[in-house]
Amino acid sequence: MFQIYLPIAEISVNLAVMLGLGAAVGFLSGMFGVGGGFMLTPLLMLMGIPPAIAVATGANQIVGTSVSGTLAQWRRGNVDLQMGAVLIAGGVVGALIGVFLLKYLRELGQAGLIISLAYVCFLGTIGALMLWESVRAIRRARAGKGGSARKANQHNWIHGLPLKMRFPRSRLYISAIPPLVIGVLVGLLASFLGVGGGFIMVPAMIYLLRMPTNIVIGTSIFQIIFVTAIVTLLHATLNHTLDIVLAFVLVIGGVIGGQFGVRAGQKFRGEQLRAMLALMVLGVALRILFDLVVRPSDLYSIVPLAGL
Amino acid sequence: MRAVLLHLALSGLVLFSPLALAQPAAPPPLEKPIGQETVHSDISTREIAIQSNFTGIEILIFGSIDFSDSRTPGEGTYDVITVVRGPDEPIVIRKKKRVAGIWVNGPGKTYGTVPGFYAVLSSRPFRAITSDSTLKELGIGLSDLDFGRYTIGDPQEQAYRSAMIRLKEKSKLFQEVDNGVTFIGRSLFRATVALPVNVPVGRYTADVYLFRDGEVASKSQGSLEVTKAGIEALVFSLAFKHPFLYGLLGVLLAVMMGLAGWYAFRRD
Repeated sequence: MFQIYLPIAEISVNLAVMLGLGAAVGFLSGMFGVGGGFMLTPLLMLMGIPPAIAVATGANQIVGTSVSGTLAQWRRGNVDLQMGAVLIAGGVVGALIGVFLLKYLRELGQAGLIISLAYVCFLGTIGALMLWESVRAIRRARAGKGGSARKANQHNWIHGLPLKMRFPRSRLYISAIPPLVIGVLVGLLASFLGVGGGFIMVPAMIYLLRMPTNIVIGTSIFQIIFVTAIVTLLHATLNHTLDIVLAFVLVIGGVIGGQFGVRAGQKFRGEQLRAMLALMVLGVALRILFDLVVRPSDLYSIVPLAGL
Repeated sequence: MRAVLLHLALSGLVLFSPLALAQPAAPPPLEKPIGQETVHSDISTREIAIQSNFTGIEILIFGSIDFSDSRTPGEGTYDVITVVRGPDEPIVIRKKKRVAGIWVNGPGKTYGTVPGFYAVLSSRPFRAITSDSTLKELGIGLSDLDFGRYTIGDPQEQAYRSAMIRLKEKSKLFQEVDNGVTFIGRSLFRATVALPVNVPVGRYTADVYLFRDGEVASKSQGSLEVTKAGIEALVFSLAFKHPFLYGLLGVLLAVMMGLAGWYAFRRD
């Protein structure tokens, strides 16, 4: 099979495998409307790409797939630019924190461990919550009750905060602080874990900010472009961990896979999709946890002093 | 003629033959002058370019023994050891420990000068060719390598050191190949060195030592350069010399692919 040499990771990988990986992750992201970074980065790590390079390159891949996704959402008028701008402002701050944190941990030799632990915690929690929620929804649908249990436009503590801003597209008049905080958190996740952060942002905007679901999805994917682009730039500049050849191969696969994913996703009901996604998220978390707990085949590891 | 001469013909086979084992242990006769034979060698490739299809490469080190100045050509045991060495680099080695059920990297030990590649090839097991002190002096053999850190006598340090050698051997960056040098006839020899996919770039040296009855009779040195070439070189230098531009390029490529994908698959 055709091997391709990755100039930054300095290993040779199978081109077909990497294209397939990009396509599979793109398919999932199109199907579930998520960035797919939470699958891609751990899979790259499992394939022997050094963790820091997997994170930076994963972020770059998400830029490409989010552009396709955003254009589709934009045409349906689902992007709230004001909200997006506030989220991006927070995202830049979070991205900076994450990039420096990763740089520091790499010097300590703990980057791989902390990235893995963070993945286990985040994916484990989110996966479990999503599974619980979607199973309840499926049961409700079977019982024939239907409809959402969500209470509309109820005031909560969010409405007591200062710095109120108007978000016409979302029909909201709320403080800019919660979206800023969400932005910081997403930026941190993006730069530290190589994920878009959609799996945190979407529930946060729906349940905390009470934005309409369709606007949430459009706005989330819109701001992911910018946050992952900034993260890519920061990692490339400060850590030299972006492998452009690998990113390019993954983007090609991802963009194509994403289009088929969108079509496949339309064949399932929302709660079924969420249950499937939850199982997959939990699966990835367990796989990473397994690697942390099982005795490694070699206790020693070597890295060049200069990097990685 | 002594049976030992067979070495010159097919060293690999001779190693295990009873004739070789029957070699007299007595020191060489004193009246014999110090050999004046010289060794000449060269490398098949002076420059190795790492490109996108690079999966490792084999280089050939070849040479000949020139007996012309020797009074008694062919008398004695001739052996060839060749050492290929890549550029030194600092390396950190860590050992994992179990902390609360999870395997965690412990504090690292830094070795300042670890060769990025190191291979010893010999016409028969090189420890049998000459004395340990000579090997140590010439820096032949993994156990005699100086990694820029004092390790003698400290069992814990010794464990780290041998773990590093083991890991490097596993990734084929350290090699000890007995019988890796093959004689063709009496004076010609060849050795094939396999450089793995993860060879570091830089200048490599290839030292060829000719041993006569366990003493260095002649030495020849060659070198080769491993570089990244084509797109790989461009990407690598851009990534480290103009990292911001490089990151921007990565983002732009991704955006363009995203746009192209959307355009190709749009349904309206």
